[in-house]
Amino acid sequence: MKGLITTIQRMSLHDGPGIRSTVFLKGCNMHCGWCHNPETLYVNPELEWIRQKCIGCNSCIEVCQSGAFSLKEGKPEFQKTLCTSCFDCVSVCYAEAINKVGREITPEEVFAEVEQDFPFFKSSGGGVTISGGEPMLQAEFTAKTLTLFKSAGIHTALDTNLSVSWKQYDKVLPFTDLVLADLKLMDDALHLKWTGKHNAVILENIYKLDSSGIAYFIRTPVIPGINDNEQEIKAIVAFVASLKNLKKFELLPFHTLASCKYTNLEIENPMGATRDLPKEKMEQLRQILK
Amino acid sequence: MDKSFIYQSRIDSLRSRKFAQTRDKIEVEGLLDEDDYGRVLPPANAWKSIPNHPDGSFYGLEGWSQNFCNMMDSHPVYVDPNDAFAGRWVYFMSRMRSNKWHPDYPFDHLKENIAKYDIIAGIGDDAHFAPDYPLGLSLGWQGILDKIDQYRKINTEPEQILFYDAHKQAVKSIQGWIERHIVMIEQMIQTETNPELRANLVEMAETNRNIVSKPPQTLSEAIQWIIWYHLASRTYNRDGAGGQIDEMLRPFFEKDLAEGRIDRQKTIYLLACFLLNDTIYWQLGGPDKDGVDQTSEISFLILDAADKANCSINLTIRVHDGMNEELFTKSLYYLIKNKNAWPRYSGDKALVEGFMKNGFDAQLARQRIAVGCNWMSLPGLEYTMNDLVKVNMAKVFEVAFQEMIQDQSADPSTTRLWNIYTSHLAKAVRTAADGIRFQLKYQKYNEPELILNLLSHGPLERGHDVSDGGAEYYNLSIDGAGLAIVADSFAALQQRIELEKKTTWKEVNYHLNDDFEGIEGEKIRLLLKNSQHFGQGNSIGDQWAKTITSEFTRLVRRESNPAMKHTFIPGFFSWANTIAFGQHVGPTPNGRKGKTPISHGANPCPGFACDGASLALALAVADIQPGFGNTAPMQWELDPTMATSDYIGLIGSIIKTHFELGGTLINVNIMDKNTILDAHKDPAKYPELVVRVTGFTAYFSMLTPEFRQLVVDRILEN
Repeated sequence: MKGLITTIQRMSLHDGPGIRSTVFLKGCNMHCGWCHNPETLYVNPELEWIRQKCIGCNSCIEVCQSGAFSLKEGKPEFQKTLCTSCFDCVSVCYAEAINKVGREITPEEVFAEVEQDFPFFKSSGGGVTISGGEPMLQAEFTAKTLTLFKSAGIHTALDTNLSVSWKQYDKVLPFTDLVLADLKLMDDALHLKWTGKHNAVILENIYKLDSSGIAYFIRTPVIPGINDNEQEIKAIVAFVASLKNLKKFELLPFHTLASCKYTNLEIENPMGATRDLPKEKMEQLRQILK
Repeated sequence: MDKSFIYQSRIDSLRSRKFAQTRDKIEVEGLLDEDDYGRVLPPANAWKSIPNHPDGSFYGLEGWSQNFCNMMDSHPVYVDPNDAFAGRWVYFMSRMRSNKWHPDYPFDHLKENIAKYDIIAGIGDDAHFAPDYPLGLSLGWQGILDKIDQYRKINTEPEQILFYDAHKQAVKSIQGWIERHIVMIEQMIQTETNPELRANLVEMAETNRNIVSKPPQTLSEAIQWIIWYHLASRTYNRDGAGGQIDEMLRPFFEKDLAEGRIDRQKTIYLLACFLLNDTIYWQLGGPDKDGVDQTSEISFLILDAADKANCSINLTIRVHDGMNEELFTKSLYYLIKNKNAWPRYSGDKALVEGFMKNGFDAQLARQRIAVGCNWMSLPGLEYTMNDLVKVNMAKVFEVAFQEMIQDQSADPSTTRLWNIYTSHLAKAVRTAADGIRFQLKYQKYNEPELILNLLSHGPLERGHDVSDGGAEYYNLSIDGAGLAIVADSFAALQQRIELEKKTTWKEVNYHLNDDFEGIEGEKIRLLLKNSQHFGQGNSIGDQWAKTITSEFTRLVRRESNPAMKHTFIPGFFSWANTIAFGQHVGPTPNGRKGKTPISHGANPCPGFACDGASLALALAVADIQPGFGNTAPMQWELDPTMATSDYIGLIGSIIKTHFELGGTLINVNIMDKNTILDAHKDPAKYPELVVRVTGFTAYFSMLTPEFRQLVVDRILEN
């Protein structure tokens, strides 16, 4: 069994307790306008071109059969629409300006890569988090991977948007110590507009999670101009307050760190013009939680 | 009465004065890639050395004792009414000579290999082992003089009589120096109008009067005694070794506290003055010889005092199983609060277990503590040449690579290169060991350790210099430098030529000869540079690093000679030599351009990990420990976004895990990218910015532009 991941991030500090390794699975059923992992949006491997790393050796142009790489004003230029994802250019780019995003990997290989950091997990109360993308799109792979870690006594966490059928979660939750669930908007129309999905299943799944006995956190990304207002945050807080077994609720401020990823992947960034959420604004909204 | 405000204002005044003195040193003496040491500028009519050799330098017992006594007789006195203690040092006596090795004892037979392999042989270098301060505190200056007299009667060879007389003169000159301070303090008492400061001076005078001859009885006296000794030792030859400071001062503190002579506020003030005086290396916490943690109330007060002083400070927390967790947490709190590169951390488990592998018992091993830049020492018991002898392994690699390419009798391969490399590494290590053996034979005629002998167990008893059979143990250090350059070079060649066949030996050699010039050169450079590095975890580079470590360790260890009590101990440390070592090495197959710095100490090359660099670093450095009780420090540029109270536990867990996995020493910098860039542009704007350059801390503004660049690169790339 193989899964498709983008990366395994070591020393992840924001995806559960302690020091963690986060496995980012590729492919998502939502397309949130503010996504800070755009490399995980699509389900197939794709090409990333980091223009700043290019030394202009033109090796990519020599091997590119589709014309996606061509010479423009003496330098290579990339047109993603022409790319056929043969990835021949990756192996000749010694500068690592061209990278294949997405690699197939078995759960055992994930385990082997992460294993070296077990001592840090144990000393810090950390573990492994499966994130994405939406890991439940690869539920079998996610379940198998979590099983391996759980069997080794490693704390496991699942970072999910809770938008898939609860039946899928039945495969995964027995091996999950903690669920990190997103709740982006209570207004369903806005939710549909900004994520491409209704929120009814999500809300329903949160209630199921609440009664499942599994520890879980809810996290709400606060996005300028979308949900950074008292009305929306108050609505979310009111919903959250109705939950009986929630361990933690967090507001996560929008940041612009992902903008270069959009550029490198040649993906349009819907929030390209949006700036970081001001600290004062964030603090003001956090007051609602109190 | 709450005197915390008064004490704080005095400490602030001392801090300001210290920063002004550092600035003055930079203006007058220029930049220096070294510790600040707390030294102040010499006067305009500075003392000049007295040659006792036609070459204009001074050597041997007579030369050193004559110069030291003469210098101390005219050494400036230094009293600040805000300070609890008198004294600062001004002269680098060991650097005030035209030649550091006696020409009558040539080592020409070693010079060819020293140059060939770029070895820092340490011949003529000094100190770098630790005195036993408690011995001094128990004897006092008169007690030391009595001890000299006692053994002078027993060891009566002419050379020994000269030996004892030289030490006696040295002690008397130190006493004379102290007495001149007392005179000055008494004069200042007459003119001081501020009653608080006057009272402080009265106390200072009394403290000093009490310890000119007799051993100290109070905390103030103990600290002042330590200060006089280390200032004298600094002046003599820059010795900066400390000891287990909390346990050393604890009896005095507890007695003063019980007898109402002192309160905690004043203790912190005294300790802050002490730490501002000099940047000596002190250890806090850690087990005693029986394994019981030594943390006491004064351990915490020392941390509080360091927080008040917050300058260039070298405190090391000993991390062990029975550690006081409160002390550890408090130390982490100050580490992230001040971001001034103190404290640092040493790992008891690997240090003790490693040292025991040399045939020593656990009780002795636990006494080998963090008292120097990168090094451990048994205070008063051993002669070590710690941090003085280094083999530039990258240079050895260059020699081997060229030999393989030039000898066309066989095809090049990493197997063949390894065989050639190990034969040269063996010669390099042998040369370094021969240099140490040479030093042990002749250093007494060159530079006897007049001051460190006083607080060592053996030299006075036997009438022999500590370098010449006086010490109990000879645990001799040889450090390898450039490990990551060599490991990554082997890995790049194996991966890119042999496994992937993406390039050829011929092509790599061509571009090495051309320093990777041109677009094709750059392409090959990046191919090599982006191969599997040391530090990535289970990579080809990691495998090579372990193989090299194992061989280097074996080669150093085999130089030991039990009959002579010579135990050679390997470590990985480059100190501040990364730039100079790099300048002697052309381009290397890991994609490093010629003459650029080599890798730092035991660390992987900068930029070795995309993310999780802290964990990758902690694992990698733990993995390549030679494992015999000397260090291969982890130089940790900690991401400043982690430097919040939320992450204290996580930082602590990384430190503990590194030590659990075999790590020996962690030096930490927490530096904001923008601050370090701005400070690099305009160092004068940041006179208080301290960085842990290697084992030592330094004011960033004192570093040369080249070294500042190195620190900046390291911080940005990690």
